[in-house]
Amino acid sequence: MKVIAIYNIKGGVGKTATAVNLSYLASLDGASTLVWDLDPQGAASYYFRIRARVKGGGQKLVEGKRGLEDAIKGTDYESLDLLPADFSYRDMDFFVELTKKPGHHLSKLLKPLSEEYDYVFLDCPPSISSASESVFDAADVLLVPTIPTTLSLRTYKQIKKFFKQEHYDSMKILPFFAMVDMRKQMHRLIVEYPPSFMPGLLDSYIPYASEVERMGVKRAPLGDFAAHSRAANCYKSMWEEIKSQLYPTV
Amino acid sequence: MGLLMAIKQLDFVFPADHGFSELLASFQNNFYVKLQAETVNYRVFYDTFDWRLYNNGSVLEVHEEGQSRRIYWRADKDGDLKIQLGLRQVPQLATDLADSEFCRQLQSVISVRELIPRIKIKIKHLPLVVLDKNKKVVVRINFDEYWYFPSKTRAGVVLDKRITIKPVKGYVNEFNQVVGFFNPMQLSEAQDNIMKLALAESGIITTEYTTKLNLLLDAEMPAEQALKEILLWLLDIMRQNTAGSIRGRDTEFMHDYRVSIRKTRSALTQINKVLPQGIISKYNKFFSGLGKLTNPVRDLDVFQIKLASYQHDFSIAAQKHLQPLRDYLAQSRAEAQNKFIHTLKSPEYRKNIKEWRDYLENTEPTRPPLENTNKEIYKLADELVWNIYQLALEEGSAITDDSEAEALHELRKTCKKLRYLMEFFQSLYAENKIRELIQALKGLQDNLGEYNDLHVHRDILKTFSKQCADAEANRACKKVIKFLEHRQVKTRRRFAERYASFSSLGIQKEFRDLFVESHKGRA
Repeated sequence: MKVIAIYNIKGGVGKTATAVNLSYLASLDGASTLVWDLDPQGAASYYFRIRARVKGGGQKLVEGKRGLEDAIKGTDYESLDLLPADFSYRDMDFFVELTKKPGHHLSKLLKPLSEEYDYVFLDCPPSISSASESVFDAADVLLVPTIPTTLSLRTYKQIKKFFKQEHYDSMKILPFFAMVDMRKQMHRLIVEYPPSFMPGLLDSYIPYASEVERMGVKRAPLGDFAAHSRAANCYKSMWEEIKSQLYPTV
Repeated sequence: MGLLMAIKQLDFVFPADHGFSELLASFQNNFYVKLQAETVNYRVFYDTFDWRLYNNGSVLEVHEEGQSRRIYWRADKDGDLKIQLGLRQVPQLATDLADSEFCRQLQSVISVRELIPRIKIKIKHLPLVVLDKNKKVVVRINFDEYWYFPSKTRAGVVLDKRITIKPVKGYVNEFNQVVGFFNPMQLSEAQDNIMKLALAESGIITTEYTTKLNLLLDAEMPAEQALKEILLWLLDIMRQNTAGSIRGRDTEFMHDYRVSIRKTRSALTQINKVLPQGIISKYNKFFSGLGKLTNPVRDLDVFQIKLASYQHDFSIAAQKHLQPLRDYLAQSRAEAQNKFIHTLKSPEYRKNIKEWRDYLENTEPTRPPLENTNKEIYKLADELVWNIYQLALEEGSAITDDSEAEALHELRKTCKKLRYLMEFFQSLYAENKIRELIQALKGLQDNLGEYNDLHVHRDILKTFSKQCADAEANRACKKVIKFLEHRQVKTRRRFAERYASFSSLGIQKEFRDLFVESHKGRA
């Protein structure tokens, strides 16, 4: 089982769209896939038409008092399941802090699922906290959608710095440019000449596209209603690139 | 384990005389349903020509769904559920696979035989989903029609109609409601028996293929009729092994084909004065030509297998230096096989085979009859077996420790003739008695065969040595020749003991009882 976290301290950079579209593509490969919507806003759950609520409460789930599998819901796509968001996740840091080993807590929670799923996508909330640290520990790769603007690059640097300070493996970080609008000079410049502090930057980038916004109307991944759109194709390229990083010999 | 994990998909057989459309209409009155695009999928069952997987309870099948291709394997009938293999294509031979548990399991069942697609099932797949008020999928249902096409020219038949109800995680109540809808229909649970149904439809009997002559001859039938039946049976073995011989990877096809040729020639020449001499000469020449083409292929096959088994008798260095020999063997085999395949594909070959079949299927008796044409087959069988047995004893008794290899070679050929005759006519004799005598003969044949193989292998090595410029390879080759000579001496030493057993008074009496005495009084 490979754990792929989609993370950024900043909000509104396309984390959920990435989690939904990539997990959909993974399931199309026939891989058994789970998305865990860790963001209390529940956008990923909404996209999959599943109520953002964990029966019995998210707290027990995060504390490990209930198995994750009890809360999993099937999506409209075979091989693709969702662990819905819960409003209680806003206090996730607090729950995680109270556990014995907060840094490894998420890995421990996910372990029982390792037989059943090939991929787990973690759609992370925009923050940096104890819960995020647990994500950094559990993830095999950390996808960091980054808008090609000065402020976003600054945020990316902060993540890198944090990884270095806390001795996380920075090789896990795979940044990519998201919401790219090539009509804007700054976007163009940054995409064409990416800064040197972004090693591991994926070649694929996600354009700013109206189809991505329509996901909220259609409540479905792009592959379901705009499979041949430019944005959908960009996600496909990105998924291929990520797989080649995860399985270098394949 | 959570409650959700306990819910499994349900597969039901749909009554053959019911249509899906009526059911669907009724279902739509009760549930909010969305029909999805109908697709056509395939299940292809792979097996060897002689059904080794099926007969062992193993399953190797490919599910083709659009671009997706999944391969499933079950080792045997006692094994767990089928597992999906991470392979992109089905191997042709077990040796095409890297060493793995699957490779070992497969090899233990199919040995050297080739895997070929044996049964293809077409599945017309109509999926639908049950939605909740938010248009969220809560249950999946598949209506599947399983079609089997026995051949390209025959119309397809529906083997089975099935309904699969698949739960969606987290929607237990909805699943139960759908199951509740189907409950009053009292549908029976579907089994994983599609291949069995297809086999029943096709009339294929998976245990049918054997090179053992299972002909039931009537003791009093005229010799001509019996001989034609034997020859037709052998021709059928050739036919069954022709396509596989042409494909060329599974050496067993050519082996079975070749043995049928040898038996055909043996029957033609030994069961004499039954068919016209012109026929015997013509087809003996034809089959002799074919047989000669198979000789080098088979000799090289056997030598390659033997050489691999000798490996551990040589040093690592010698093994390395034998690589040019291995390359030579592989290349020589490929050349010899190409010649054979070229002949099998030729119009002339097809013409001769057709004429041969036409002749054998013609039931008109030969006129004027020859000396043995109308003789009751049991009488002729007694005479022929007894005479050739006497010859074997005569030749065998003359062999001493100083006899030339040629004498052993002659005895080997005589024993082979005897063996073939006994097999042709075995249904005319008490089964346990003739089987016992064949076993006694087999013990001697094994010894003579091994001796002859070693001789042939030394000849191959000598031919290779003459044209090989690599000094190291030649040195390694000489070591193998010496090794083979040593083995040949040991085999030769065992001959006397094997022959003594075969020619014992007890066995001689049994031969006499069976082939001289048993039919006495019948006439």
